[in-house]
Amino acid sequence: MAVAPMDTAAAPARRARHEQPPAGGGRARVNRHLLRLPFYLLSLTMVVPFYWLVITVLKPPAELSRIPPSFVPRSPSYVNFYDPGWSARQVNPGHLAGVLQRFQVDFGFWRFLFNSVVITTSITVGSLLICSLAAYVITKHQIKGRRVIFLMVIASMMVPWQTTLIPNYVIMRNLGWLDTYTAYIVPALAKAFVLFFLVQFLQSVPDELIQAARVDGAGEWRIWWKIVLPLLRPALAAMSIFIVLAEWNNFLWPLVIVQSDEMANLPVALARLNSYFGAPDQQGAIMAGGLIASVPTIVFFLVFQKYFTRGIALSGLKG
Amino acid sequence: MAGPLPLGSRLRRYGTSYAMLLPFLALFAAFLLWPLANSLYLSFTRFDGVNPAVFTGLENFAELAGDARFRHALGNTALYVVASVVLSTLLSLGLALAFNSASWPHRIMRTLFFLPSVTSSIALMLMWKWVLFPSEVGLANTVVHWLGGAGVPWLATPGLTVPILVLMSVWGGMGYGMVLYVAGLGSIPEEYYEAARIDGASTWQQFRHITLPLLRPVTTYVVVTGLIGAFQVFEAVYIVFRGTNNIGGVLDSALMIVPYLYDQGFTHFKLGYASAIAWVLFLIIFVLSLVNLRVGRAMKEL
Repeated sequence: MAVAPMDTAAAPARRARHEQPPAGGGRARVNRHLLRLPFYLLSLTMVVPFYWLVITVLKPPAELSRIPPSFVPRSPSYVNFYDPGWSARQVNPGHLAGVLQRFQVDFGFWRFLFNSVVITTSITVGSLLICSLAAYVITKHQIKGRRVIFLMVIASMMVPWQTTLIPNYVIMRNLGWLDTYTAYIVPALAKAFVLFFLVQFLQSVPDELIQAARVDGAGEWRIWWKIVLPLLRPALAAMSIFIVLAEWNNFLWPLVIVQSDEMANLPVALARLNSYFGAPDQQGAIMAGGLIASVPTIVFFLVFQKYFTRGIALSGLKG
Repeated sequence: MAGPLPLGSRLRRYGTSYAMLLPFLALFAAFLLWPLANSLYLSFTRFDGVNPAVFTGLENFAELAGDARFRHALGNTALYVVASVVLSTLLSLGLALAFNSASWPHRIMRTLFFLPSVTSSIALMLMWKWVLFPSEVGLANTVVHWLGGAGVPWLATPGLTVPILVLMSVWGGMGYGMVLYVAGLGSIPEEYYEAARIDGASTWQQFRHITLPLLRPVTTYVVVTGLIGAFQVFEAVYIVFRGTNNIGGVLDSALMIVPYLYDQGFTHFKLGYASAIAWVLFLIIFVLSLVNLRVGRAMKEL
């Protein structure tokens, strides 16, 4: 059941409870359903804005400034993505560019999708490798200073990252890294929270496993790669979900380090779209961009739902 | 441990240990510890990012104390933080209680409420702006017209900006808290409820004396992480309320701490002043984290 809605770690226990007849018989059952009614109504407020977003994308520009607005697009079209009548050379008020045509950079809007994928993937893979190495040393090696290091890492979790925003911006500028992938990726690799979580997880792994490998003559790097990483798989899955979501949506740091259009990630590109083209008849293209930016994480969520909710529950309750 | 090793192999092994720690430690020091110390230093200087920083002692903090915009940002943030955390915690708990079974209608409801947590946050903010903004064609005013009311200029009414930010935050955040509460509910042993029912406890009594106390660790986590997250609100203000030459919207009515920090640092290039704001934010979150530790310890002792 890969695409079953919202399964959670605790499901079996609750399934048993659900099947029991509620105390008090029929009346209590009716009461319970009545108590749920406000929440079913509340769910309408979840559906309607998303519906509004989707129909906005399907409406051609002329329909977007209609008063009152229509709730079913009268003439659904894809011009907000790609407008075949638009030409960069001549201004034609009948044809506004679709979002894929708006930016004068190579590959247009696809470039931002590419940027976001490159940045998110590198940070996720890189930080999991770096943090798992450190977590392995801190939990399984008897070196001096490991407690101090771990304490420092825990303490640093109290620091809101915005506190380091300005010095980090100055560092990027002095190194000449502004407007590069390096500025996105390198400062984001050492994640205190990830190290903390992996250390907690590794503490429950018996030392004997690693000792046995050492007796067999395996080197430390090999033990990390062949034993520790496979053992950490559930923890790495949980953490990768957090990292992917956070980096995919990262906005303030990119806003500060990105100068050219080419290097924007999706959130920055969308914000620029919003400030360049604010008129009502342009909103379809802006929402089309928002939809493109949202689809990868929503699909990622639908595929890995089980890990999502389990990861959130794990990190929320243990941490 | 398997007993003391010969010196040579001990060196080799510990050398490897430090080599394995190095990437993390180097990055941690370079982009967290050093910038943290540096931002503390910068907060005592006048620094425009181009000329060398000039040490001015407590001048920035004295200026902050008298800065009406900053006080306004602090007040707005406090209001926003309290309202959004209280509302979203209550709603998360309510949703978890309402939809905690594994049946498909409940799973679909949970997915619906969780959807904003996995949607691009900028896309959501743009969506809200489009719901509220073009006063004549926005969804919000269309609904108001149906109900017989007159259209409201949502984003241009100073009294409405913080409530709108609270609503957007609760709408986007309650699904996340719900998932935590659902996991918490699942870890409560069913036997407790059976025993209570045998003793004749009502549904309310069961909730009051079993469910709520056992959910307390989850509540602490939801509240404290919610508080810390809410203090850092930025995108909603920047995308939805930022005017052409003012980050805080009409009369600064939507101004918050982090947007003000950004404004001072990257629009006015007062990097020293912005660092002082960053340290005020740090102190607030530091205190909240300490409260969290305290509460956590007190819970364990209970």
